[in-house]
Parts: sequence; structure tokens; C-alpha cells
Amino acid sequence: MEGMSAMSMEEAQELLAGRDLIAIGARGDDERRRRHGTRTTFVRVFEVHVDAVPRTFPATAEAGEIRVIGRPHSVDAAVAAVTRALTLAAGASVTAFSLADLVDLAAGRLPELFASLRAGGLELVAEAPIDMLQDAAGVIRMAHDAGLMVPRVTVHAGSTDPAELIGRIRDLQAAVGGIRAFAPLPRTSSIAHPSTGYDDVRLVATARLLADNIESIQVDWARYGPKLAQVALTMGADDVDSVSALQGDLGRRRSPLEEIKGNIKAAGLEPVERDGHYKVRA
Amino acid sequence: MSIDRIAAKVRDDERVNGAEALELYHHAPLPLLGTLADVVRVRKHPDGVVTYIIDRNVNYTNICVARCNFCAFYRPVGSGEGYVLGFEEVFKKIDETIALGGVQLLLQGGHNPDLPLEWYEDLFRAVKQRYPEFRLHALSPPEVIHLTRLSRLSVPEVIERLIAAGLDSIPGGGAEILVDRVRKLLNCYGKATADEWLDVMRHAHRAGLRTTATMMYGHVETIEDRLEHLLRLRDVQDESGGFTAFITWSYQPEHTELGGAEATGIEYLRMLALARIVLDNFPSLQASWVTQGGKVGQLSLAFGANDMGSVMIEENVVRAAGANYCMDEVEIVRNIENAGFIAKRRNMHYEILGDPFFRQQSVPRQLELAVARADGDTSRAPEIDRYAARSAAEKRLRASGGRRTTEQHG
Ligand code: SF4
Repeated sequence: MEGMSAMSMEEAQELLAGRDLIAIGARGDDERRRRHGTRTTFVRVFEVHVDAVPRTFPATAEAGEIRVIGRPHSVDAAVAAVTRALTLAAGASVTAFSLADLVDLAAGRLPELFASLRAGGLELVAEAPIDMLQDAAGVIRMAHDAGLMVPRVTVHAGSTDPAELIGRIRDLQAAVGGIRAFAPLPRTSSIAHPSTGYDDVRLVATARLLADNIESIQVDWARYGPKLAQVALTMGADDVDSVSALQGDLGRRRSPLEEIKGNIKAAGLEPVERDGHYKVRA
Repeated sequence: MSIDRIAAKVRDDERVNGAEALELYHHAPLPLLGTLADVVRVRKHPDGVVTYIIDRNVNYTNICVARCNFCAFYRPVGSGEGYVLGFEEVFKKIDETIALGGVQLLLQGGHNPDLPLEWYEDLFRAVKQRYPEFRLHALSPPEVIHLTRLSRLSVPEVIERLIAAGLDSIPGGGAEILVDRVRKLLNCYGKATADEWLDVMRHAHRAGLRTTATMMYGHVETIEDRLEHLLRLRDVQDESGGFTAFITWSYQPEHTELGGAEATGIEYLRMLALARIVLDNFPSLQASWVTQGGKVGQLSLAFGANDMGSVMIEENVVRAAGANYCMDEVEIVRNIENAGFIAKRRNMHYEILGDPFFRQQSVPRQLELAVARADGDTSRAPEIDRYAARSAAEKRLRASGGRRTTEQHG
């Protein structure tokens, strides 16, 4: 479902600089509810490093997505990690790699790399970090041509002009399609000057309103923490990434599943678990 | 009454009653609660100033006989992990605090039977002698009650003696939920009943002290209990006007006997906003970034808070229960300004002291809060032996020449 009318860049810039947080959050929330109602999806992710994919899936874990992380040092290593990840668990989607790392690894031979990964059984690239890709549209088209999906766009370090960045993602979707979710909060942050709560909420709400051709606005549970992520769900986000796949972390009294469901419900929303293909898990 | 009607009352500066507040908590959407809380904040602070204090949170002892089941900080009498700070250690902390622009210590601790009233008087006098301008925001009501029991003096007498020794104000800790049924479940009824807690504050206000009030929610209480707590505080404030600020935070469950799960960020923002609406006679509301993290701490400014609390410098109690956030002055000011407010330093009386200290003088960044004592430091405070031992464990320890033979529980 597309927005009634696309927000202008000027409006987005105003929103990002706005001081009335409640009004900004309410706009993001209205748009989110118009699209998704109270439905809030989340995915339990089991991360495996490209160089250390375990032979068996831990008995104490449950995941909708097995994500191969890390930068592969060779095409063979990348394909081998994917093949092993695919044997790990039935039912969970396997996603792998950052598109930026694959561009580096391919050294100009991207179609071949994509074809090898597809032949190895990969369907889903884990993420496309928009601010690390020179020609995102060209690269994603090549992935699509090889039969790979790139459903998730992320932001690595953010931008001094976030409205421009979100606008770029809207244009990217218009050009290539297939982007199912956009995670607007940067995946890296400064220890001395982390982003603020206001920054995060303004960004989530603006992303929801400006990236009107993308279905889901995603927030990372592990990186942003339950408190901020929960607030983000009431101000524009509708999907939660990176919920721990481990059933019970040591010393914790609630499992991650209970915690995420409890938090979503406490925000007055309805939790729905999905897999890496964005399909509802039974 | 409908939500719209209650909202109109808040906008018209009419007081809401318990039933109306309950209705708001249950049925008002989050943006409406935030907006109403903001109406009250703007009414009280139209200048757009958000304050903070540079002070240090010092816990003089972790030895405690109260044993509240929500507390991960205390150690029983005789525990090898128990400590009492020496006066020199406190002075060193004050020196470090002053270097960062700090103006006071928030001094609280366990109920240690081997520290009589005289220990506190001697400590306060020693601090005031060395640092005449430095403020002591010290001893929450249950600690005052504990001292009345040790000294067999009345609450007003203990307060009077502490003021004479240098006490400047009383922090509102130990309130938890001011409903005795809840206090019994938390095993904190014995340390102070709801009436006793409020009574200490009444006496403190009568003696000319300003105090804060707190609420720790999210454990065994109901929403009705939280409201009773707020309404009781509002009543005392109507009588005395001595409370400067209200601070609420969610119970931190890790490593506690009670256990359970922490209340969520949204629940915190709803609670904060409700408190801002109900406590219409409290001048200030603090954000609790130390329990909610810097981000939700900053969002609190949109939900009724007008104060970012303390830079803290040191924190031991919340950290013991699993929360480990840090904000130095640079970070607090950045968050205030990023939210569109004007940052001002204050003292405990919420009087403005000036612009940010780090803009006047260079101070080192602090990316981690200090702790009471370095790991493995089991040194014994030299002053303790000046006072008679009361606990069996302390008596045994002294009889053995100060060697701790076994982990004894008092
Ligand atoms: S909360 Fe205070 S009184 Fe209760 S056990 Fe902990 S230190 Fe003692």
C-alpha cells in the first residue's frame, strides 16, 4: 500500500529538525497504523560468522532467520558458508552478507559472484547498506538478475542529511523494487556522541512518512535496546530485527521471545513472528 | 468522565482526582498523555530551561540489615563483600567531584548497625570543615528511621542533630511504593512504613529542609497502588510545600531476590507523564536516565520531565541490578539542547547556578561511572573502631583483631 501523497524533501527536513517530538511521533504512528494497524512483526535471528558456521543448530535456540555475517575472504569461503548455513535448520530462512562486502569481494566480477552464491543455494542477501554502496541500483539489479533477493536496506553510519538518504532509498525502491524493509537507524554509533532518543524517533517517523513505497520500517532490537526499540514501534516502525534466537540467555529470567512479545503487547500492539522471507511463522 | 473532559481539566489547570488519573493511565493514548504532561511542564517552566546537577552519588556502606527483596546492592552484616567508606575516601570523592564542577554529594547507604548517629555527625562535620560550601544531600527517610532506632531519639531530634552537623537536604529514596501492603511484599515495611516515610519528610520540611520524592514501580504493585503513592505525596506537598522534585524509575530486577522482568520504556513514559499531571504541586520532575538509558531519558523531556537529574559521577545501586548507563555533563547538555531546550546547571534547591561547567573550563570526558570502591579493595575504614560495635559479627571481627575468618551473617 502506498502513501496518500509522497512527502516532500522540505517537509522531511522540517520534521527531522522539529522539536515537538510528540507531534512528530504521532505523524509517524498514524502512517504506520494506516498501513499495518497494530500488527508488529519480529524475527529471531541466529547469527553465524562466515568463518565459523557451526555444524549443528543449538538445541537451545530457535530462529526464523539464520544470518551469515562477516566479510568473506574468498568466493569459495562465501559459498561454503552459505551451503553450511542452509544445512543447519529446516524452516528458517538463510540470509547472508552485506551487499557492500560482496561488491568489495567481487572485484568487478559481481554477476559471477552472485551466480555462485545463488548456485550455492542462497536466496536472500542479508542487507544493503545504502551509505556504503556507490551504485546501489546497479548492484541490486545485478543481484536480482542472478535470482537473489535484497529485501532489507540498512544505514551503516548515517548521514548529515538524513532526508536526502531516505529520499535516495525511496528512489532506489522506485528503480529496482523488492525492498521489503528499511532500517533507518544507523548500525554504527559513536561512543562519545551516540545518537539521541530524539534523533532516533525523528528518523524513524520521517522514514515512515518519506519512504512511502517501502512496506516496513525496521528497528534493531539488539543494537537499539528494548526501550528505544519499543518506543520506535509507537512512532513509525512496525518490524523488529535481531531478536536473539537463544531461548534463555544466562542469568535472564525471561526468554527473548517472551521479552519481545511482552514489549510489543505493552506498547498496545500485536506481535507476529516472521522469518527471513518476511513470512509469518506458524 | 470521558478522556476528553479529563484532558480539558488538565489544560484548564484543574486538579485531577484519583479516578480521573486512573482513567488517563488506562485509556489515554501515549501522545495525549505526553501532550498533557507537556502542558503542565510548560506551565511550570515556560522558559524552556532544562536543568541538571553535577553531583556524585556516593554509597557510604553496602552493609544493610533491612534486606529488601528488590535490592541487589546490599550485603549482610559480616559479609566479606561488605564495606564502609573511610572519611579520607569520601574526601577524595569530593575532590574529584569539585574538579568536575560538582557542588554536592548524594550520600546514601545501607542500614549498618555498626555506624551510630555519631559516625554520621562526625562525617558531616568533617566534610563541612574541609569544604564549607559543599552540600550534603543525604540520608533517605528509611536511613533516618534507622538512626532513630539506633539512637533511641525521635525523628525531629535526629534531623535536628544531622542539620547541626551539616545536612543540607534529604533525598527521597526508599519510598518504593508508599502502600503498606506492597511494602510488606517487598520486605521493606520494616525499614519504614508508608506513614513513617512521609512523616520523616514532614519533619524535614518543618525543620526547613527541602527534599525530593521518588517512586519505584514495576514489581508487585498495582496501578492503583502507584496512584495512591502519588496522591499521598501530593497531600504532603499541599501541607508543607517542601518537595522540590519527583523522580520515578522502574524496578531493576537483575541479581535481586525478587527477580522478575523490568517494566518497559513505554510504561516509564506513561508513568512519568501521569506523575507530571497528578503532581501538580511539585515544581520539578526528573528524568531517570540511569535506569532508562540516555535515549529514553532524553525522551522524558517530551513526557513531562524538566530536569535531567544528576551527572552522578558514581553509581553502585542500579548497576548492581543490571543497568549500566553513563552520561557525563557534555552528554547531558548535548541531549538537553538536541531536544530543543536550554541547559542550565542547578543546585539541590533547583536554583540556577549557571551555564554548563565544561564550557567554562575543560574537564575530562567521563564515559563510565565510577564505583564506590575498586574491585578487591577490602580495606577497613579507620574510623569505625572509634564507635562501639553493635552487631555480633562486628564484635567477633574486632575480637579476632580484624581478620575475617568466615562469612558471617548478622
Ligand atoms: S534498598 Fe536500601 S534499605 Fe533496602 S536492602 Fe538495599 S540498601 Fe538496604
